[in-house]
Amino acid sequence: MSRPTVRSAVRRGSPQLRLRVGFLVIAIVLSVFAARLVQLQGVDPGSYAAMAAAEGSVTVTLPSARGEILDRDGQPLAETVDGLMVIADPALTSEKAPQIARFLAKRLHVDYIKTLDRLRVEGSRYQYVARQVPASLASDVVNDAEDKGFDGLFTERDPLRVYPGGDVAANLIGFLGTPGADGSARALAGLEASFNHYLAGKDGQARYQVGAGQEIPLGDNTITPAVNGHDLHLTIDRDMQWYTQRVLQQTVEGAGGDSGVAVVMDSRTGELLSVADYPSYDASRPQDFTDHKDLFKSAALTDVYEPGSVEKVLTLSSLIDAGLATDRTRLTVPPELDRQDHPIHDYWEHGTLHLTLAGVLAKSSNIGTVIAADQFKRGQLRSYLTRFGLGKRTGIGIGGETKGILPSGSAWTDQVDDRIAFGQSVSVNAIQMAAAVNTIANGGVRIDPSLVEGHATLDDGTEIGSDDATEHRVVSADAAHQTMLMMERVLDPDAGVAPLAAVPGYRVAGKTGTAQEVSSDCGCYNGLTVSFAGFAPADDPRFTIYVVVHNPRPGSGGGSTAGPAFSKLMSYALRRYGVPPTGTQPSRLPVEW
Amino acid sequence: MSYAAPQLRARLPRIADAAIQRARLTVVPRPRARAARAPRIPFVMLVSAVLLAGVVGLLLFNTSMQAAAFRETSLENQASDLAARQEALETDVQALRDPKRIAHAAQSMGLVIPTTTAGVIDLATGEISGNPVPAQGTPLPLFPPPPSRPAALDPPAVHVAASHGVPDQDRGGSGPKLGDKHRAARR
Repeated sequence: MSRPTVRSAVRRGSPQLRLRVGFLVIAIVLSVFAARLVQLQGVDPGSYAAMAAAEGSVTVTLPSARGEILDRDGQPLAETVDGLMVIADPALTSEKAPQIARFLAKRLHVDYIKTLDRLRVEGSRYQYVARQVPASLASDVVNDAEDKGFDGLFTERDPLRVYPGGDVAANLIGFLGTPGADGSARALAGLEASFNHYLAGKDGQARYQVGAGQEIPLGDNTITPAVNGHDLHLTIDRDMQWYTQRVLQQTVEGAGGDSGVAVVMDSRTGELLSVADYPSYDASRPQDFTDHKDLFKSAALTDVYEPGSVEKVLTLSSLIDAGLATDRTRLTVPPELDRQDHPIHDYWEHGTLHLTLAGVLAKSSNIGTVIAADQFKRGQLRSYLTRFGLGKRTGIGIGGETKGILPSGSAWTDQVDDRIAFGQSVSVNAIQMAAAVNTIANGGVRIDPSLVEGHATLDDGTEIGSDDATEHRVVSADAAHQTMLMMERVLDPDAGVAPLAAVPGYRVAGKTGTAQEVSSDCGCYNGLTVSFAGFAPADDPRFTIYVVVHNPRPGSGGGSTAGPAFSKLMSYALRRYGVPPTGTQPSRLPVEW
Repeated sequence: MSYAAPQLRARLPRIADAAIQRARLTVVPRPRARAARAPRIPFVMLVSAVLLAGVVGLLLFNTSMQAAAFRETSLENQASDLAARQEALETDVQALRDPKRIAHAAQSMGLVIPTTTAGVIDLATGEISGNPVPAQGTPLPLFPPPPSRPAALDPPAVHVAASHGVPDQDRGGSGPKLGDKHRAARR
């Protein structure tokens, strides 16, 4: 720092000038930096940050699992298994397309011609070959293909929804369609649709930095874990459901009917053990039923019909509860009853009968019921029926449920009043009716039917399930008991009309129903609906079962058609749940006087 | 002590002299080059050894990490393979427990689901109540009817069954009845 500097300073000119030039250059450079800083941080910091993060970082979707639908014992009715989709890269496969297509057709059971076309698509590098293939099969096939020298096949995650039961409870569960392009499930029917959000999970995300194709161990690493969907526990008993469907099928086919419904309910809790519809479909092969999309529903909830004489149980128990009659009330039943618009008949020809109220129910006399129901004050019957749950959705969790039709206001004329007393001019769905009859089994307390065990949240936010089921008293315990005793007479071989519904060894209470069916084509009565509802053991009910057959061949009746099906189902349910006979004597109520 | 003071004063200059003598700065003798330093070879050896150990250690660590990564990948693959296999086996078990299959097997062995009187054994007392009789029952239709054929494939001749004028409730419209088609298909 001594002499040489001094010497060169002379050559370099004035220090002041140099200092100024230097500062100027520095100022220019710093201004450029500052401008760039403003550009980066001020104008659009987000996108630059994202670009910086994207550089060398990888985002992976962590798939969530859709919840299972389980029966009351935890047997799966719908479950998700690991599936893979097989994808072809036509740029690599087109050369050996015929061989690969033959290989795939044989192993994956795909269509040869379609596959061949896909393997040869020009200008594409991504073609689906097969979707939702079980994981082990798909990876075996792709590995074998590579061993054979077939390149260009890949797998990708594609979870598979399976319905192990096939048609068992298909009417309730529904099914998922082919997933959307983003892999989201498309629920098309039943509980899958109404509980879609509850069942579906939320996909997670993992984001990490990679260098040279490897994850950088200490690099940025954020993980949002996937949230799996909830399992949906049903009150359905899979084996019972299977048996119910088969018995219903046998019954409907045997009677030459169009369709039918059978409901098995736990009398004490209102839990539905099975809800069978016939005809139904196979949830594991819904594509076979595309011509019958009208089957993708639960007719037990969506279809209305007139319940017929089964409804007399509600009328008569209400009468007893209101103190207007007892099970021994004596009635004189004429051969025909002239009312305002047209005479009321019984289904059988008779002279003047002397029936007790029990006899009216046991023999299912319309005339007797109308005469007894004349005791009601105006509006009284309707308020009872409303409390029994008629005209109101049961809300067990499946979409498209009907409210049924309970006339109100000016629609409730005297003629309608007479007909409603024996179950015509009022429409219900099968679950509503089963729950109403179960009120008698449950000692006069109506308990909400439930299909979901515990509780679960519907897509519209409603919480439902057996935990949320409410109960309320409709008729007094004494009225329910008297009604039960009257209903027991229905199955008596001498006094009643439905001896075929009896379950050997057990006391059973029940009621037949044979109603005219309204045809939507002509708006008139055309055809029949026959049914049987009952519960057992009569003096300590465990199960309430309701069987309905629509449009059986002429001459069928509730006792002869639905009765035997009721007997089979009840016998099976009592055995299955180990219910011993109560060992008490059946009711001996007089039916005539 | 009075006689001691002059003596001290007399000695003081001598001490100061000595101090001055001692305090006079002299040039530190230059240490003999290198001779004073620690021997250099062991140090170089040590540093080299540490360096070598570090490099080798790093290499080994890296290799073992790589090996672990490979092993992790292969184990992960194995785990997912086994999970897939387990799932496949569980599916097989499900298929075996399917009520349809069991009913079919049972029915082909002549078994029926009884509708006759059952006996009840009280396990506590060993008492049998009820009046058990040998099981009787009718065989069940084991499978649901197949989906009916599309209307286009249904020859018009089999529509005869629809002629008793019973309209189709389910569809609420015209067209052949579903139930009729099932029956027709089985004829």
